[in-house]
Amino acid sequence: MWRYIVRRLLWVVVVLLVVTSITYIVFFVMPTTDPAVTFAGKNPTTEQIAEVRHQFGLDKPVPVQYALFIKHVFLGDQYGWPGLGFSYSTRSPVKDQFFGRVLVTVQLAFGAALIWLAIGIPIGILSAIRSRTFTDRASMGIALFFVAAPVFWLGLMGLWLFWFKLRWSPGTGYVAWGDSFTDWLAHMILPWVVLAMLYAAFYARMVRGNMIETMQQDYIRTARVKGLSESKVIFKHGLRASLTPVVTLIGLDLGALLGGAVITETVFNLQGVGQWAVNSVFQGDLPVVLAVTVVVAIAVTMMNLVVDIVYAYLDPRVRYN
Amino acid sequence: MGKRRQQVRLVGLALAVALVAAACGGGNDEGGGSSGQTATPQKGGVLRTAISDFGFTNGFDPTGEYVAVAIGLYGAMERTLMGTKHIAGPPGNELVPDLATAPPEISSDGLKYTFKLKPGIKWAPPLTRDVTSKDVAYAFQRINAAPLVAQYGFWYYGTIKGMDGKAKSADEKVSGIETPDDQTIIFNLEKPTGDFQYRLSMPAAAPIPEEVAKCFKKAGDYGRYVMSNASYMIQGADKLDISSCDAMKPISGFDPSKSLTLVRNPNYDQATDDTRANYVDGITVSIDTNVDDIFSRVQAGDLDSSIADQPPKPVLQQYLTDSAKKPFLHSNSGDRTWYVTMNWATPPFDDLHVRKAANWVMDKAGILQAWGGSTFGDIATHNIPPIVLGGKLPASEYNPYPSEGNRGDEAKAKEEMKQSKYDSNKDGVCDAKECSNLVMINRNTPVFADSEAVVVSSLQKIGIKVKPRELASSAAYTTIQTVKNMIPIALNAGWGKDYADAVTFAIPLFDSRSIIPTGNTNYPLQGMTPDQAKTLGIPYPQGVTIPSVDADIDACQKIATDQPDQRNQCFADLDKKLMETAAPWVPYLWAKNITVTGNTVTKWEFDQFSGYLSYTQMAVNNNATVPS
Repeated sequence: MWRYIVRRLLWVVVVLLVVTSITYIVFFVMPTTDPAVTFAGKNPTTEQIAEVRHQFGLDKPVPVQYALFIKHVFLGDQYGWPGLGFSYSTRSPVKDQFFGRVLVTVQLAFGAALIWLAIGIPIGILSAIRSRTFTDRASMGIALFFVAAPVFWLGLMGLWLFWFKLRWSPGTGYVAWGDSFTDWLAHMILPWVVLAMLYAAFYARMVRGNMIETMQQDYIRTARVKGLSESKVIFKHGLRASLTPVVTLIGLDLGALLGGAVITETVFNLQGVGQWAVNSVFQGDLPVVLAVTVVVAIAVTMMNLVVDIVYAYLDPRVRYN
Repeated sequence: MGKRRQQVRLVGLALAVALVAAACGGGNDEGGGSSGQTATPQKGGVLRTAISDFGFTNGFDPTGEYVAVAIGLYGAMERTLMGTKHIAGPPGNELVPDLATAPPEISSDGLKYTFKLKPGIKWAPPLTRDVTSKDVAYAFQRINAAPLVAQYGFWYYGTIKGMDGKAKSADEKVSGIETPDDQTIIFNLEKPTGDFQYRLSMPAAAPIPEEVAKCFKKAGDYGRYVMSNASYMIQGADKLDISSCDAMKPISGFDPSKSLTLVRNPNYDQATDDTRANYVDGITVSIDTNVDDIFSRVQAGDLDSSIADQPPKPVLQQYLTDSAKKPFLHSNSGDRTWYVTMNWATPPFDDLHVRKAANWVMDKAGILQAWGGSTFGDIATHNIPPIVLGGKLPASEYNPYPSEGNRGDEAKAKEEMKQSKYDSNKDGVCDAKECSNLVMINRNTPVFADSEAVVVSSLQKIGIKVKPRELASSAAYTTIQTVKNMIPIALNAGWGKDYADAVTFAIPLFDSRSIIPTGNTNYPLQGMTPDQAKTLGIPYPQGVTIPSVDADIDACQKIATDQPDQRNQCFADLDKKLMETAAPWVPYLWAKNITVTGNTVTKWEFDQFSGYLSYTQMAVNNNATVPS
């Protein structure tokens, strides 16, 4: 197991190098916007453009820039470790901004994940064990609605109803946990629920499908024949096998969400990683784009690793040696 | 482009926003039939605003910052030798002494400007000392320092003696600026510059304290430490430890990715200032990435006003059609022209007849409709907006390419095209291959994308077939600003004044001496010579001489701004000459800026200088306090 984990961690480094080199090619070798020209202002002189290029470190050959970037990521830069550089737009270290924003995104992602698991799995189980009943059809119908409903629509409708009309929600924006726990909770509930609805619907449908298939397996029949209670059959034998794909999916979903739930963050004005990254792409703020890319790549690969390890626990058939 | 950078939005989200926006506001009548304005506005409260993105171009460092949103904020924080009254319309574009006691004493040859500073104007804490002429001189040393990248330094380089933007640091004195005592500053110019006083009203020319700013040697770094000398300062500025450079930490009231909070400057003396009313106790500008949310919050009373974001069409529709809401919608001249630019270096636009035909045929009313109607602007009939020309050449008096309902005159366009070398059979439709597959750069944002079909079909009537290429705003600008790209035609271009003088249009946009390889804003390459073309590495059009207006610009520049009528007439004549003998663009819109306020606003005012709300003239009644 440990050898497997070490091997996978080394793969993280390889993935990181591949992802960053592709990002570098996209943003430096095939640029649509020259950040030096953009930031040199209106009617810049050649000297001004050169000065900006120098200040941004863009006057060095691309391979050198890339090598420096990688070096800083691993060994740190003047702003500490990991070295994520300096934002062109805000003239401040990317690291400080990143950690401020990733905290918001992590809260959003994990809070939503708890809700969608709490809703999606029970509904999936219920639909499976009461397959083809009214409960099943109603649950799956609602799930289909949420799968089909775009997050931005759900978000805006949620705001309209709970903030604008009913005044139950304090509206958009983010309040730090440390400033006021109740305000934090009040501001996060709606984004959590909106983001969770889409995923809960997916998970419910998936759990239902897996569960129906599992419950038809021979070992389930054997368990019943041996006289086990139905709840034991369902939760101990059926659910465990049905959950393995859920583990895979949640790992990937959480990894991706750490890169930012762009739409949810934008609709609810949460200053997270996602909308920051999107704005930075349009503004040509390359250090931010690179930083987010690197961290998301790490998050996704690490989540994959965690998923694989949990898999081994849940499914004894999986062996790593 | 101009000062205001365009915000980029998620297209899908924008559509959704537009759809849901109407619903969000539908049941909430916050208007009450009047805009809440009172005759005698009360002091107090906090002016709470939000914006989708600051869009700072230089980290809010006044030396290099070029975005109008920042220029509006500086109006509340910094005093310049000459300033404006921060009010709407032509009076808001008039220069008045601010830091100076009176307009300057100008030498007879127009080369020496002497200003006296008002006594008793103090820096906000922690400095708490008098503003001196040396602070003003230091601001110019910063503009001249190459590493600080003064983004509109070109207004001073080659104008003030000793300024070329190539100084290694801000420590180097500018030879053309003298400070014989703390209250006197003298500018020695290289050449008579009629609009020099306007140039001194720009934020980069406001005093900067050396003891703080010397610690910041790169472009934009001072933006987190800006010291105030006007009525408001950044919240927490008084806590800045200026004992050493290492001790300074960014001022708490400003996070460029989240918000800016201004509070009253305790050292400010209202008696020294007749241009700022300063009703509110504080100003908050927070970033809200959801544009619809900004307008919802204004309606809900959580915010007092929008700033730069334009309301989605359904929201706008509510305000235009609901008489109770209408008073809360404010549409003011943006002092900006939007235009289709045509490149002299790329056929068929090397032929004046083709350029004129494009002007004749353009359906400007259709474009205005795509923008959302007259609330967003007036149809432009020439290049420089009349407000920047001191009211000269209003559309009602000058339209060299008139048409019924501004829908374009196809017959006149064809008459013009018949005279072109690209119409061999003289049927008024271009039949040369040069008129086909012409790349037209455009933006991928709603109003531009919506206008595209109108422009394409208009040009098609005279045989000009363009291939639109939609890009993000900055990419679109970079593409057309790189001369070697030889972009024939572009729909993404707009230009706003830097200050209310037509030279801010004439020099960057039409002067051949402004043509540079990258970052070029003379998109048509007006006045380019064969030698310049060679240096730029592009072919010069055969059998054509691109007309130059450089001499006309120089002639206008010799007339000082204290002779506004003559100066404006000179530039008006220049504009007419351009329209009739060069047709560099098809100007289609003189834009308006839209602001939505809530019923908490008891006095609304627009700052014509910055083009957005006036922070120092607005009053609110919201009992809000400055956030801690």
